[in-house]
Amino acid sequence: MLEGFNFRIIWEYMPLFLEGLRNTFLISLISLFLALIAGIIACAGRLAKWKLLRGVAIFYIESMRTTPLLVQIYFFYFGLPTLGFRIPELQTGILALMLNSGAYIAEIIRAGITSVPAGQIEAGVSSGLNYFQRMRFIVLPQALGVTVPPLLGQAIVLVKDTALLSLISVMELTRCGQVLTSERFMPSEAFFTVAFFYLCLYFCLKTLADWSQKQLIFREVY
Amino acid sequence: MMTFYFQRLVEIFPFFLKGLWMTVVVAASGLIFGTICGFILGILRSGKNKLVTRMIGVYVAVIRGTPFVVQIFIVFFIFPEWGIQLEALPAAILALSILGTAFICEIVAGGVKAVSTGQWEAAASSGLTRIQQLRLVIIPQAMQTILPPLVGQYVLLIKDSSVVSVIGVVELTRVGWVTVVRIPEGLMVFSLVGFLYFVISYPLIRLSNYLEERMAVQETKL
Amino acid sequence: MIKFDGVHKWYGKLHVLNDISLDVASGEVVVICGPSGSGKSTLIRCINRLEKFQKGELYVDDMPLHDYSTNLTKLRAEIGFVFQQFHLYPHMTALQNVTLAPMHVRKLSRKDAEAVGRQKLVRVGLEDKADAYPTQLSGGQQQRVAIARGLAMSPKIMLFDEPTSALDPEMIGEVLDVMVKLAKEGMTMCVVTHEMGFARQVADRVIFMDDGQLIETGPPVQFFDNPQTKRAAQFISKILTH
Repeated sequence: MLEGFNFRIIWEYMPLFLEGLRNTFLISLISLFLALIAGIIACAGRLAKWKLLRGVAIFYIESMRTTPLLVQIYFFYFGLPTLGFRIPELQTGILALMLNSGAYIAEIIRAGITSVPAGQIEAGVSSGLNYFQRMRFIVLPQALGVTVPPLLGQAIVLVKDTALLSLISVMELTRCGQVLTSERFMPSEAFFTVAFFYLCLYFCLKTLADWSQKQLIFREVY
Repeated sequence: MMTFYFQRLVEIFPFFLKGLWMTVVVAASGLIFGTICGFILGILRSGKNKLVTRMIGVYVAVIRGTPFVVQIFIVFFIFPEWGIQLEALPAAILALSILGTAFICEIVAGGVKAVSTGQWEAAASSGLTRIQQLRLVIIPQAMQTILPPLVGQYVLLIKDSSVVSVIGVVELTRVGWVTVVRIPEGLMVFSLVGFLYFVISYPLIRLSNYLEERMAVQETKL
Repeated sequence: MIKFDGVHKWYGKLHVLNDISLDVASGEVVVICGPSGSGKSTLIRCINRLEKFQKGELYVDDMPLHDYSTNLTKLRAEIGFVFQQFHLYPHMTALQNVTLAPMHVRKLSRKDAEAVGRQKLVRVGLEDKADAYPTQLSGGQQQRVAIARGLAMSPKIMLFDEPTSALDPEMIGEVLDVMVKLAKEGMTMCVVTHEMGFARQVADRVIFMDDGQLIETGPPVQFFDNPQTKRAAQFISKILTH
C-alpha cells in the first residue's frame, strides 16, 4: 500500500506544511482566545436578569449551535462584502470560528457555574462573604474542575474546525494538502501528512485535557 | 435590489428543498450505518480482549483527531488509489458513517461500562451465555445512559454532513454555495440555509433535551 | 455434592484462600462465618466460578471447576446464587426477573416459565408482587424475589452471599424465614452470614474462616457453646455482644 509513497515530495513540500501547521496553530490560538471572551460575555448575558439581554444571548448561542460551522463561515464570507465590509479571508474565518466556539464556551461556563451546589453558596452567604468573595473563593474554584476539561475539549474541536477555513482559501494546514494535490496530484502524500500533523496537535491537547481532568476535580464529599 | 433578489430566491426555493432532501438522505444514511457499526464496536470495546479494545481505540483516536474535511478528501481522493473508486454521494455516506461509528462506539462503550458488575454476575449466575447477558440484561439498561448523547451525536452528524459539499454532493450547503454566485446576497442565502438546518435539527434537539431530563429524574429516584 | 481439595487463591500478593479442603454433602446446610476479609465470599463465589483460583481442585456435582473447559452454562443452571446487593434486573418486573433464565437457558415456553415463576414467587410469599418493578419493592421483598429467581431453575445447590447484610433490621426476618423453609425442605445450601440465630436453627455445620483459612468447623451447638479454637471464641464473643 505504501510502496509508492513518495517521501521525497513530502520533504520538498515540508516548508509549506510547516507554514500551514504554524498558521493552523496561530489561528486556533487567536480564535480560542477571542472565543473565550465572546463566551464569557454571552454567558453573562445568558444569566442576566434583564429579559432582553438574555433573549439576545440565547438567540446567539442557539443559532450558532444548531447550524453547521461551514454555513456560518460562508455566511460571513459571502455576506459581509454585501454590507460593505471588505475583510480578508483570514479575519473572516477567525470571526466565524470565534462566534461559533464562543457559543459553545458560553454553555460550558454556564454549566460550570450552575454545577456548584446551592448549599455551598448558602454556606458562603452565612459566613458573611459578599458576592465577589463568594465567586472568588467558593464558586469559581469548584466550577473550574467542571469547566476546564470541556473547554480543552472545545479547543480540540476548534483546531479541527480551522480546517474548514481551507475552503475559503486561507493558507492553513489542510490547504497545504490541497495545494500539493493540485500541483503534483499526490493526494496520499498530501493528506496523510496533513492528517499526521493534526494527530500530533490532537495528542498534545488530549494529554493536556486528561491531565487537567485529574488535577482539577473538587467535589463535595458526603 | 434586495427585493429583486428576494423574489429570485423564492423562485429558486424548490432547489433548496432538493438540497435539504439530499442532506436528509446523506445524514440519515450515515446515521444508520454509524449506529449499527457503532453499537457493534462499542460492545466489543467494552469487552475484556485487550487487543480488540486497543485496536478500536486507535481507530477512534484517529477519527477524533483529524478534521472531517480531511477524512472526506482521503475517502474521495485516496481510496481510488487502493482500488475503491467511489462517486461523490457514496463516498460522502461512507465518510460520514466512518465518522459516526467512531463517536457512537465511544458512547455505547461508556453506557455498557456504566452498568454495574453485579448485573453481569447475576445474569451469569443464572447460566445465561455472554450474548444473552448482553441482549437481555446489559444493553437494555445501558440504553438509559446511551440515548441522550446518542441523539446529541445525531444532531452533530447532521451538521457535519454540510462538509460533504466540498466533494460536490448537491446537498443543502452546496445549494447555497452554488446559489450565491447567481444571487449575490450571502446573508439571505445562508440565513435560509442555516434556518433549514435548524428545522431538521430542532426535533432531535428537543428529543435530546427531553431524554436528558428524564435521565436526571431517574437518577434521583435511585 | 461440593468438594474443595487444597484450593489456593492469590490476589496479587494477598493469599485470599489458603489450603481450603471442604466437603458438602447433598441436602446439607452449611453456614460460613468469619471477620471481613476472611475470604468467605470468595469461597462461595468459586463454587459457581464467579471467582477463579490458581491451585487445587474443586468438584461441584462431580464437575471439575479447576478444569477451565467445563461447561459453565450447564453448571450454573444447577446453582442458584443470591447476592448481598440483590442485583435484580431493574428494567424487568419481579416475574420477568424470575422467568428470564428458565426461558433462555432451559428453553421453556413463556407460559411454562411463568407458571414456574409464579410458583416460586408463592414460595417466597410474593405472588401478589409479580408485576411490580424492583424500585417499587422494599429491600426484603427484593431479596425474596432474588431467592425466587435462584429457585426458578430448580437448582441442586443454593448459594447465599451475606443475603441480609444490606437489609434494614425489620426486613431481615422475612428473608431468613424463606431460607429456613428452604433448608427444612432439604435444599443443599451454603450460606455466608452473620445471622447466628439462623445458623443455630437449621445449619448442619458452621464453618469459621479467618485470613483465608478454615479455622474451625462443627455442628452449631458445639461451635457456639464450645468453640475449640481461640480465634473462633473471640469472634463469637464479639458477635454475641450485640
